[in-house]
Amino acid sequence: MDFEFSVITESLPALLTGARLTWIITILGIVGGMFFGVLAGLGRIAGTEALGEEPHGIFKPISVVIRYISSGYVETIRGTPIIVQAMFLYFAFPMLVKALTDIQRFRIEALTAAVITIIFNAGAYIAEIVRGSVISVNKGLLEAGMSLGISRFQLIVHIIGPIAFRRMIPPLGNQFIISLKDTSLFIVIGVGELTRQGQEIMASNFRALEIWLTVAIMYLIMTTVLAMSLRQLEKKMKIF
Amino acid sequence: MSSIIELKNICKSFGDTEVLHNIDLSIQEGEVIVVIGPSGSGKSTLIRCINCLEMISSGELVVDGIRIPDERGRTRQIRLEVGMVFQQFNLFPHMTALGNVAFGPSKARKMNKTKAVDIARDLLAKVGLAEFENKFPGQLSGGQQQRVAIARALAVNPKVLLFDEPTSALDPEMIGEVLDVMKNIAKDSGMTMVVVTHEMGFAAQVGDRLIFMDEGRIVEEGKPSEVMKNPKSERLKDFLGHVKHH
Ligand SMILES: Nc1ncnc2c1ncn2[C@@H]1O[C@H](COP(=O)(O)OP(=O)(O)O)[C@@H](O)[C@H]1O
Ligand SMILES: [Mg+2]
Repeated sequence: MDFEFSVITESLPALLTGARLTWIITILGIVGGMFFGVLAGLGRIAGTEALGEEPHGIFKPISVVIRYISSGYVETIRGTPIIVQAMFLYFAFPMLVKALTDIQRFRIEALTAAVITIIFNAGAYIAEIVRGSVISVNKGLLEAGMSLGISRFQLIVHIIGPIAFRRMIPPLGNQFIISLKDTSLFIVIGVGELTRQGQEIMASNFRALEIWLTVAIMYLIMTTVLAMSLRQLEKKMKIF
Repeated sequence: MSSIIELKNICKSFGDTEVLHNIDLSIQEGEVIVVIGPSGSGKSTLIRCINCLEMISSGELVVDGIRIPDERGRTRQIRLEVGMVFQQFNLFPHMTALGNVAFGPSKARKMNKTKAVDIARDLLAKVGLAEFENKFPGQLSGGQQQRVAIARALAVNPKVLLFDEPTSALDPEMIGEVLDVMKNIAKDSGMTMVVVTHEMGFAAQVGDRLIFMDEGRIVEEGKPSEVMKNPKSERLKDFLGHVKHH
């Protein structure tokens, strides 16, 4: 077996460009996913005792609607493969727009489709992490908070939020790593992320061993950075 | 004296099960009420109805002039005036002792940080925990945690304090320190207190009125010493016999 180290050094610039794109898509996915995840996670338990006490009057039907919308989102995303979601957004969605509206020149950039897909995909899984952590907060603590006469908003921000967040960190770390690796699936819509770069170099020089080894190590470095940052955060919050 | 809490013909059901039946009770300002009764008799439910942690199913509740259910939207005001101390302490685990006590004044009463912390320091000193202000709940004994919880409830300056078996989760050697704090509050501040407890010594010493509950009803009430000396019902005689043996 011959292992040519020079193959790696030659392909490094292209692979690093791909890695950079992978990293950018992932970070956008994590930030956006956290936003939608928190919204949908809280939305799924809106109006239940997990967020204080059950509402009355007009807020009751409103909370039911919020629960349905959030659940619909989470179940739709969880129930379909991310590859299908990306293909749908990139290929099918523009056709749908053209068919249903007057806009005839509609298209989505591959990178945009990738970012949107990863945001909504991560968001659905993060929603479940958020929901699980929030309902695990001891109800006595909510009662103690409510007994002081604070608002529901204050209860969520100052009591439920910090306690639940501490518990979310390990599963969030898991999800962030999954999302990072999921970006490799965007090869199917032609996004030049790390896996795609590897594939293209491979197609021109057939050096599978050097290329895929390098690609694997690059993924490993990125997932390790994610895992270690979350570990640091967890340590910081170790006090309780 | 005027009544600060009034329960008029109150019933409370969970699902199809009615656990409080037609309760009438009027509590005067400054009164210390001790509630006793066997497990499952509705003591917790009764006091949790007073600060609306449980919503009454029928009847009317008046707390500091606020009428429930008519003014349901004002439960937060009721809670500002009615503090609660729980059997399991329920201190916020992510805040220090000082943070726990300062939380109410700063968030519920919207005071500035410095003022809230001043109040919290004073109260921690009052419950004998001045040097523990930077400890987290997990670093405190049960008795210390409960004293912090009492300080936390006092910090929003309520008119009424509810206690739900505040010493039942404590090791015996820590019960005294918590009861002492409660006695001081009763004597010094003239606070209206409703205390669910089986500490009959406490009842006799600081209670103005003793209420015996059984199966969701108030079965007997009166001056603690008299009720304890001359129980009228068999059920109370039975119950007092059990309590004394523990
Ligand atoms: N959230 C609840 N849901 C259903 N039943 C309850 C609930 N809370 C209390 N109960 C029932 O109400 C009755 C009175 O309970 P409780 O007020 O806790 O009694 P006590 O404090 O005197 O032990 C019990 O039969 C109990 O099982
Ligand atoms: Mg009870």
